[in-house]
Order: sequence, then structure tokens, then C-alpha cells
Amino acid sequence: MTVLFKTRRNRELALVWFLLIPALAVFLFYRVIPLLWNVVLSFSFWAPGKPLEFAGLYHYEEMFVYDDAFWVVLKNTAVFLLATPAAIVIALGLALLVDQRIRGRSVYRMIIFLPYPMMVVAVGIVWRWLYNDSVGLVNYALRAIGIIDQPIAFLESYDFAMLAIIIAAVWQIVGFFMIIILTGLQNIPPHLYEAAVIDGARAHHRFWRITLPLLRPSLFLCFVLGIIASFLSFDLIFTMTDGGPGLATEVLITHIYKLSFELSRFDYAAAVTVVMFLLFILLTVIANLLAGGDAGKVDIAD
Amino acid sequence: MSLYHRITSHVLLILISIVMLAPIYWVVKTSLTGDNIFTYPPSLLTNKPHLFFYVEAWYMVDFVRLFFNSVVVATIVVVANVFLNAMAGYALTKQFPAKKIVMSFLLMSMMIPFHATIIPAYLLTAEIGLMNTKLGIALPSLSHIVCILLFKSNFEAVPSSLVQAARIDGLSEWQILTRIMMPLSKPAVATNIILSFIWSWNEFLWPLIVVRSPDQQTLPLGLVSFLGSFADTTGALYAFCVLVILPGMLVFLLAQRDFIRGLTSGATKG
Repeated sequence: MTVLFKTRRNRELALVWFLLIPALAVFLFYRVIPLLWNVVLSFSFWAPGKPLEFAGLYHYEEMFVYDDAFWVVLKNTAVFLLATPAAIVIALGLALLVDQRIRGRSVYRMIIFLPYPMMVVAVGIVWRWLYNDSVGLVNYALRAIGIIDQPIAFLESYDFAMLAIIIAAVWQIVGFFMIIILTGLQNIPPHLYEAAVIDGARAHHRFWRITLPLLRPSLFLCFVLGIIASFLSFDLIFTMTDGGPGLATEVLITHIYKLSFELSRFDYAAAVTVVMFLLFILLTVIANLLAGGDAGKVDIAD
Repeated sequence: MSLYHRITSHVLLILISIVMLAPIYWVVKTSLTGDNIFTYPPSLLTNKPHLFFYVEAWYMVDFVRLFFNSVVVATIVVVANVFLNAMAGYALTKQFPAKKIVMSFLLMSMMIPFHATIIPAYLLTAEIGLMNTKLGIALPSLSHIVCILLFKSNFEAVPSSLVQAARIDGLSEWQILTRIMMPLSKPAVATNIILSFIWSWNEFLWPLIVVRSPDQQTLPLGLVSFLGSFADTTGALYAFCVLVILPGMLVFLLAQRDFIRGLTSGATKG
């Protein structure tokens, strides 16, 4: 009897592993091993077809001390990250608006969410066209209201290119944040508001004392997802400006792509990737701590 | 809610809707008339729409081939995701010695954005000879951890009495998964299909790295190489753009509810 039990138990174990291994293999070969390999590469001299040689901190020294482009790119990445808080504030406003009991709210929700599932490459092309200096809608609208009198080539301007891209990024992601915040709003028990009304709390008190604190997990989830999205916003920048003019909109991921796949400097690009990964982890951990350790446990940008 | 309050809300929301829809309207209008390509001030309304640019785009790019490639890659990804994620999700509902290690392995992998691994992923794919193939494009997205966790929580909600009854009736574990668990977790399956489809359909950076020849290009790659070889003022570019956006939009509109529920439940529950 015990032998039989043992074999059945073994058979079940074998089944568990049979079910698990295909998925685990995907993550092992396309997440964990590449990450470790990337770290090894960043401490080595290597080019396709050449043997791997130990380089110590050579690439890191080059990056931090000699490569001026790296600091510009890092600064641009930090600026681009500001798109996330901006989008969250707007999304919070939108969520409060469409959470009211008004006619057609599901239509409004759908319209605001509509850009999110669009292909980012296409979004980039759409916005390039909107920002066009001679016939674009943005220039036309701004000139019509009289804010500017000369057309501006936004995407070729050192002052405006980054802002222009951030606006496009916010436009696309704000509906997604709105949906997350909306779920959070709907999870707030209504009796809290009722009690507050009875106690004579004003609308803005109810917002600051009840809504905002209870939305904290949703807001931080947005924050984490937004950080991931802006770190990885390769598609939008590649199609809208390709990092230009000069380095004005170059961020870490586009820089890494150019270093490795245009200049074949895989080892140096690996070192930049390590910095990007560490920054990403750092920001995620901070966001997690602020949210009480639970938000962003599951990221859907994956 | 007072009338004044209600009216301000509607006015605000209509303005916001205009801002959200304007870019889409503008590109559709350009693709249908082209009258705002060369004239200033551009007219806000569409006059005399025609399909000329769509026909032009059809002849300028091999749309059918690009579309076919995108569909093949998306199909591989979707089928693999449903199978691998359901299997892994089911295994994780069971007790086994290394379960904790497996769970932390998964949660750890989830913290690794694919973009942070592109260089070795590229070298690895080249090593196994899958560069410039559809399988090579699909490989890194064959499974998504969020969807595994989604399946796991759905399977755990299936009453254990049902599973026991099935076991007494002599169903094997595999049959329990395919005949009991999967049919009872239709929302999870739908979410899985929609999410993995959209992710695969819109994927750009990885195909850009893997694909070397035009015959393996997917839609986003075709769109970007079109952008690279023609000026901004080619009406066909915008027709092509609309054609590329449409399938994703259609999938979204058809499965809107599942999509939003899937995103939020996947994002908040885990």
C-alpha cells in the first residue's frame, strides 16, 4: 500500500513538473539567463566573433566619467519619467468625473480608454502628423487661438521635442490609469461618505480624508506601471524623433538600442542596461515601500 | 447632484472626449481625403472622402504579407499562452515540495523587464538559429506571468468538491484540467487571449531586432519602414496607419468588458 501511495505521489509530482516546465523554461531562457549574461557582458570586452575578456569596471568608468552622452540620456530619462505623475493626476480627475452618476458615462470612459490598446508605433506616426509644422492640427489650433503666431516644428525643437513626446505618451496611457483608479474608487465603501456627510464634512474634506487615502494602492499601482511604461517607451520615441534633435529626446532604452544594434558595442550597451535595470528596481522598490508593500506586486506591462 | 454641477461635468467630459478623439479623427480624415496635407488652413470637416490612399497603400506595401506574418506570430503567442499559462497555473494550485521556490522564481522574473535583457536575448536567439523567423519573434512572449497568476486564482475558485467528484469518476489530472478547470474559467481564458494578442500585435522592439529580411516583417515593422522611405506627406502612410490600428481596435471593442476587467483584475488581484 505504501509503495502504491509513493508511486501515485511520484506520478503527481512528475505531472506538476511536466505542467510547470514549459512556462518556467520561457522565463529562464528569456528573463533570468539573459539578465545574468547581461551583467557578465557589462564587465567584459566582447564583440561578435571575439572571445570574452575580463574588463572589470572599464565600461562603467567610461560611462560615468568619459561619456557625456550618457548623462544627457540619463537626464532625459528622468524628465520623461515625469509623464507618469502628470498622467496620474489627470487620470484621477477623469476617474472622479466619470465615477459620477451622469448619463453616458460608459461612453466617456470608452472614449478616454480608446487610445490605450492602439499600436504605439502607429500612435507615434499619428502624433508626428499632428505636430507637423506646416499643416499639423496642433500648430493650426495654437495659431487659431492666438497662442503662437509662427508655426513651431515641435519635434525638431530642442525646447519642445521632449514635451511633445510626453504629451503623446500621456494621451495614450491616461485612460488605462483612469480604469485602475476607477476600480479603486468603486472599492471604497459608500457608508464612509454617508457617515462623513452626516458629520458635516465638506466635499473637499471628503476627498482629502477619505478618497485619496483609500486610493493609495491604486495610485501607486499606476505609478509602478507608469514607470515601467516610460522606461520601455522605445516605440514612441523611435517613431516620433529617434532621439533627436541631437540627443534631446534620447532616453536609456533608445540609447541602448543604438549602442548595440547600430554601433555593435554590445559590451558597453550591456553596462548601460545594468544601470537602467538598477534604476528601474530602485524606483519600483521605493514605490512599493510608499504604497505599503503591496501595490505593483503584479505588473501587467511585463 | 445639482443641474449646474451636471452641466459642468458634461461640458468638461465633452471637451476631454474631443481632445482624446481629435488625433484619431485627424489621421482618419487625412487618410480619407488628403485635403489637409497640402492646404493651410486645414479644413476641420471632411469633404469628398475617397479611398484612393487605401488603394495606393495596398499597392505600395505588401499589406497581405505583413498582416499574415503578424497573424502567424500572434497565433503562436496566443495558443502558447493559453496552454503554458493554464498548465503552470494549475500546477501552482497543488502542493509540492519546491512550490515556494517556483513562486519566488516567477515573482522575481516578473521584476525583469524584457527590455533589460534584449542584448543577451538577441545573442541567444542567434545562437539557436531562430533569427529572422516567426518563432524567434514569438519566443520571448510564449508565456506571461500575470496570466499564470490569473489562471491560478481562477482555478483556486473552482469548488474542490467538483474536482474530487471528477477524481472519483476516474478522470486523470490532465482531464480535470481540460474538462473541468478550463471550461469553468472562461473569463480567464478570454483575458489571456485578448492580452497576449494585443501585446504580440503591438510588439515592436523585439521584431525590429530579430527580423532581418522584409519577408518576415510584421505590421509595425512594415509601418516604420514605410515611414522611413516616404515623406510625411504621403497620404498612403496614414491609410496604412489606420489599417494597422483597426484590428487591435476591433478586438478591443468586441471584448471591451473582458479586456478592462482582465487588466484591472490582473493588475489589482494577482
